[in-house]
Amino acid sequence: MMREESKGTNYGIKILVVDDEKRIRDACRAMLSNEGFEVALAENGFAGLKRIEEEHFDIILLDLMMPGMSGIDLLTHVKAKHPDTLVIVITGYATLEHAIEAMKKGAFDFISKPFSPKDLRTVTAKAIEYIRTLEDIAHEKSRMGVLINHISDGVMATDMERLVALANPAFLRMIGYRGESAIGKSVTDLIRNENLLQVIEKALSMPAEEFGEVTEEFAEGALTDTEERVLAVRCVPFRDRLHRNLGTVTVMHDITASKKMDQMKSDFVSMVAHEIKSPMNSVLAMVKVIQDGLAGELTEKQREMLGRISEKIKGLADLAAELLDLSRIESGLITMEKGRLQLEPLLREQIEFHKAKARNKHISLSMDHVPELPPVLVNSRSIEEVFSNLISNAIRYTPEGGSIVVSAGVEQGYVLVSVKDNGFGIGKQDQDRIFERFYRVKNDQTRLITGTGLGLAIVKSIVDAHNGMIKVDSDIGRGSTFSVYLPIMQP
Amino acid sequence: MDNKTLILVVDDDPDLVEAISMKLESENYRVAKAYDGIQAWDRIRQERPNLIILDVMMPNKNGYQVCDELKKDPQYSNITVVLLTAVGESVTSTKYTHMDGKTALADEFIPKPIDLDSLMEIVKDYTR
Repeated sequence: MMREESKGTNYGIKILVVDDEKRIRDACRAMLSNEGFEVALAENGFAGLKRIEEEHFDIILLDLMMPGMSGIDLLTHVKAKHPDTLVIVITGYATLEHAIEAMKKGAFDFISKPFSPKDLRTVTAKAIEYIRTLEDIAHEKSRMGVLINHISDGVMATDMERLVALANPAFLRMIGYRGESAIGKSVTDLIRNENLLQVIEKALSMPAEEFGEVTEEFAEGALTDTEERVLAVRCVPFRDRLHRNLGTVTVMHDITASKKMDQMKSDFVSMVAHEIKSPMNSVLAMVKVIQDGLAGELTEKQREMLGRISEKIKGLADLAAELLDLSRIESGLITMEKGRLQLEPLLREQIEFHKAKARNKHISLSMDHVPELPPVLVNSRSIEEVFSNLISNAIRYTPEGGSIVVSAGVEQGYVLVSVKDNGFGIGKQDQDRIFERFYRVKNDQTRLITGTGLGLAIVKSIVDAHNGMIKVDSDIGRGSTFSVYLPIMQP
Repeated sequence: MDNKTLILVVDDDPDLVEAISMKLESENYRVAKAYDGIQAWDRIRQERPNLIILDVMMPNKNGYQVCDELKKDPQYSNITVVLLTAVGESVTSTKYTHMDGKTALADEFIPKPIDLDSLMEIVKDYTR
């Protein structure tokens, strides 16, 4: 809450003093002007009434005992005409009952005669505090109202009875509501989509001690028939001081554009990668035919150079293949079909498959004793790719004569598979980044190892898409352990 | 070497077909060529190859379809099919390769880029 303190707290506050005693009027004027108030005076009830008809006062200091119109009568007029004006009644020494009567009729406070400047300051300060607080609330309300009505995200608040307390125009547009004012209606009258109603229900029933939000994505046309929008919806319960649920706030964000961009990017990458990959395959095969001397005799130098050409093209073909993979994972194609899978046979198969490569480098590749594993719900081909990548990385980043051990077990709702090598290891500064696309650890040992920098990015995307986790534990010179956690399939 | 063994090479890229053919011919195989699924069937009916090296991604009927039809047809199901899988997988080790959720019952799968030497090994194994 912002206050314009620089101009003084009392700046612009108008006070009317109504008292038949000139001495008191003058004393009040002197003191209050000094405090920065705008002060007006009236010598009796009629004069006071005339003043309040002419203008609005924030505070009225009102003597109750006056000839002619009494203070109580004037108070009644003030409350009828200016309900927000604060009236502080001035009472004589023995007239406490009058003060009580005045309070009942809506006076804000009272002050008894005789009073000191300090008494007056105290009672006006209290009134000012009250006025400023009301002002702050009003400003805040207005600011919030403007903000909520003008942001492009949809916002709706409900109470615990599922009645709509607030719904901005963007929200109503997003759900396709065109009826009369939504405020006070039940959410079921506004929202047709069952999933969205469930999101709100979930937030409403969230236990008070739990902080959380319910998120959901609504695909094109899910909420309205006409608009082809993708909406990200978040619904959060809001609470009082004692953390009791008071209702929910739902925020809808239109992510159509970013979804489209994502799709375009994936399509583009996949198109380019595919167009590059196919000719690479043919080139590689043709180079091989020439290398084998099937297109005429070759000199040793020609053969050697063709060997290098082949390696370079293989690198490019791998890159294209991995880009293709990544874009397929990102567009969700790969993880669409999941099935129940026992990991152990797959791991054994992978080890068999990579044995030849490991043997070439005199690396021992083996499987640790594996306890019986519960099944996981996965896309078997993607998961196969995860372990294939991890094992082939381990082979590439382990020097001759090293060893690689694959082990598996169960840990807190997950099947845990580790691929442990005693190779070059990864420095702490690189460990956070190795899962980024195109990030490759560059040092003397890895300089000559070829790779695209996409393998681990693919691995991570796949593991993420299975609600799993991947961790790396590594020390330079001692080796690395990559651990993959896949959630155990619920029966 | 048995010069009666006929290998059909099917790929929509003529350069790859030529390279594979040259390699096969150097090993004394007879070679037939086709550049899409429909042509592949023409060659299969006319020449009854012993083994087919079949690309997956092709216009006018892809390799999976050709393989599926062939393996379901008792007249041809004994022909060995080596599928060249290039559908995005950089590493494929086992035989449960899916496309559109289906499993193709090929005899052998080779991921692209093809290693011509391992391809020859496989061909030799099946045509011995």
